Amino acid sequence: MRPGRSQEQLLFNDLFGQQSRRHFLRRAGVAGLSASALAAMLEACGSSSTGSSATTANVNMAGPIKLDTLIANAKKEGQLQAVGIPPEWADYKDILAGYTSHYGLPISYKAEAEYSSAQELEVFKNSKTRPHGDIGDVGFKFGPLAVQQGLVAPYKHAYWDDIDASLKDPDGYWCTEYYGAQAFVINTDLVKKPPTSFAELLSGNYKNMVGIDGDPRQANDAFLAVFAAALAHGGSLDNIQPGIDYFAQLKKSGNFTVARSSIANISTGEVAIAVMWDYLGLGFRDQLAGKPHLEVIIPSDGSIAGPYVSVINKTAPHPFAARLWIEYIFSDEGQLFYLKGYAHPARYQKLVAAGKVPPDLAAKLPPAEQYANVRFPSLAQLNAASTLVNNNWGPQVLGS
Amino acid sequence: MLSQALDEEEGRAQPGMAGEKRREQPLARRSAWRLAGLLAWSILVPFLLFCLLFELLPVVITIQGSLTNGGTGGLSLAGYQRLLAQASNLRAFQNSVALSLVTALIGGLLGAVAAYGLASLRQGWLRNLLISFCSIAANFAGVPLAFAFVATLGVTGFVTVALRSWLHLDLYALGFSIYQFWGLVLVYVYFQLPLMILVTLPAFTGLRPEWREAAINLGASPAGYWWRVALPILFPSLVAGTMLLFANSFGAFATAYALAQGNINLVPILIDFLVNGNVTVDFGLGDALAVGMMGLLLAVVALYTTMLRRASRWQGQGR
Repeated sequence: MRPGRSQEQLLFNDLFGQQSRRHFLRRAGVAGLSASALAAMLEACGSSSTGSSATTANVNMAGPIKLDTLIANAKKEGQLQAVGIPPEWADYKDILAGYTSHYGLPISYKAEAEYSSAQELEVFKNSKTRPHGDIGDVGFKFGPLAVQQGLVAPYKHAYWDDIDASLKDPDGYWCTEYYGAQAFVINTDLVKKPPTSFAELLSGNYKNMVGIDGDPRQANDAFLAVFAAALAHGGSLDNIQPGIDYFAQLKKSGNFTVARSSIANISTGEVAIAVMWDYLGLGFRDQLAGKPHLEVIIPSDGSIAGPYVSVINKTAPHPFAARLWIEYIFSDEGQLFYLKGYAHPARYQKLVAAGKVPPDLAAKLPPAEQYANVRFPSLAQLNAASTLVNNNWGPQVLGS
Repeated sequence: MLSQALDEEEGRAQPGMAGEKRREQPLARRSAWRLAGLLAWSILVPFLLFCLLFELLPVVITIQGSLTNGGTGGLSLAGYQRLLAQASNLRAFQNSVALSLVTALIGGLLGAVAAYGLASLRQGWLRNLLISFCSIAANFAGVPLAFAFVATLGVTGFVTVALRSWLHLDLYALGFSIYQFWGLVLVYVYFQLPLMILVTLPAFTGLRPEWREAAINLGASPAGYWWRVALPILFPSLVAGTMLLFANSFGAFATAYALAQGNINLVPILIDFLVNGNVTVDFGLGDALAVGMMGLLLAVVALYTTMLRRASRWQGQGR
C-alpha cells in the first residue's frame, strides 16, 4: 500500500461514480486506452510499479470486492469457465444468461455442465498444471473436502452476513447458494389421501407405492431420505439408525418399492409416493403438467436439507470473473432465479422479509411454514450417518 | 541398404531350399513384399495400441490397485482382506454367479431349441426376419430394456394391470416382483436367448443331412441319431454359447442397476458404489472385487476357448 496512490484512486473513484466510470472506461477503450493502460498511467503518477497488475495491487481477493472493480477486471479477463453448472438444474439457464447479459462476458459451461461434485474437484486439481475452470457448484460434503485438498480460493461476497453460519466456511472458502429439502412427491391420481408424515406412510395402505431416488449407499438424495425418516422415527441428527429401521419396516409392510423415483417411474405411477428433493418434485410437477397430477408436501415429522455450495478454483484462469459470478448468484436477482428453479436460495428468509419474493412464484412452492421442520446436519453428522447406512442398508433393509 | 543387410542375414539364418529360392527372386520384388509386410503391420498398429490402452493397461492398473495400500502406496493385501471380511461381498459374488448361471442355462437351453427350429425352417424370408429380430434383441439392454420391463410388468405395468382388472390376478400379491431375483432373470433372458440363437445357429445349420441319412441307414432311431451323432457334434458349440451367456450377464451392470439399483446385491453394482457415490470411497476393495470378477471370467473364458477349439475341429471334418 502506497498512501499517495490510494488517495489518487479514491479521488478517481469520487470523480467517476459507478455508472460514469464504466462509461468513461468504455470511452477510454474507444480512445485506444485499455483499463490497464489507464491504471498504468495512474501508477506512473504514483511511485514505481510493483510488477503485479496495478488494478489488482490493492484489491483484497478474499473479498468483498466492489462491483465496478470486479466488472472492469472481469471484462479484461474476457470470459468465465463454469464447471458443473447444468442449465436445466435449479434454473441455472437464467443465471447463466443473466450474467452474460449484465456483464457482457461469455461463459463456457457446456462441456462440463453435467459433472458430479467429485469430477469438478478433479478439474480443479488438474488446473494446477494447466489453469482451467473458474467456479463450481458442489454438494455440501465436497466444500470442506476441497479445502482439505487445497483446491479452492476464499472469497466473502457482499451478502456474506445474510448466510447462516452453519451454511458457510468461516474463512470464506465455500458458501451455500441454495438448498433442497426432503419432500413427498405424491401422485394424486393414484393416492386419494396424500400422506403428510412418515408415520402415515408406515400405517397407511400404500402397497408398493413408496420409492426413493436411488440407493442410499450411492445417491445423496436417497441417503437424505433415510436421514429424514430417522428424524420422524425417533432418531436425531446424530442417530440415523431409526431411519434404517423405518425403511426395513416399510419394506416389510409391502409399502416400499425399490423402483427408483425417476421421472419415468413417477410419470407411469410405478412410484406413486417418492421421498426426494422438493425442487426435483416441483420440476417434475411442471414438466408432467397433470399427467399425472403431482403434489409436493414437506413431511411434518421430519425433513433434511441438502445444501449446495459455491466454490472458486484456486488456480482459476479468470479470478475476477469467478468472483463476479459469486456476487451475481448471491445478489437478489441470482437468488430469485434459484427460487424460480424451486431450489431454496440461501438468502430466502432475507428475501421474504424484504418482500422481494414475487407472489406468483411463492404460490408455486409448498407453504413456507412446512419448511419450519427442515434440519441442517453438520458434516460430521453426515459422515457418521453415511457410514452407518453403508454398513446396514444392505443387510437390514434389503436382506442382502 | 539396411533391408538388404537384413535380407542376407535372414538368408543365412534359413539354410536349405527356402533360403535358396528366396535368393533367386529379384531384389525389387523381394523388397516390395517386405514393404507389403510392413504395411500390414502398420495397419495393425492402431488396433494393437487400442488393445494396449483400453484393455491391457486397465487390467494392469486394476491388479496393481488391488495390491497397493491406498494410504501408503506400498504393497499390501488389505483390499482382499476387506473383500473376505464382509459377508455381503461374498454374497454379491454368490448372487452374480447364480444370476449368470441361471440366465445362461435358461437362455442356453431355450436358445438352442429355438436355433434348431430356425435352422430347419424352410421359409427363408421368415428365418431372416427372425434372425434380424435376434440381433436387435440380443443388443437391447441397459436402461431402455429395464424401463420397458417396468412398463410391462412393474407394479403399474401394462400386463400387471391387465391381469388384475380382467382376471383379478394380482401378480405382486402372489409374490412376483420385477425388482427381485427372478424378475431380473426374466429381463436377462430377454437378451440372453437371442444371443444364444445367434451364436449357435451356424452349428445347427452345419449339421449335414448326409449324417442323418447315414445314421438312419445304419438303423438308428431319431433319438439314437441325436444322442450319438448330432449332440456330440453340437455339444462344444452349445457349451461355448452358454459360457458366452454367462460372461455376458456376469459383467452386465446397467440393466440391473436401472431396474433394481442396489436391491439385488451384485458385484458390478457393489463396485460402482465403492468408486462412485456416497459410500466411503474404497478403490482398493473395488479393485479387489474387479480382480475377483476377472479371475472368475478368465476361468470361464479359458473353458470357452477350449470348447471352441473342439467345436471347430468337428466342423472342419464336416467340411
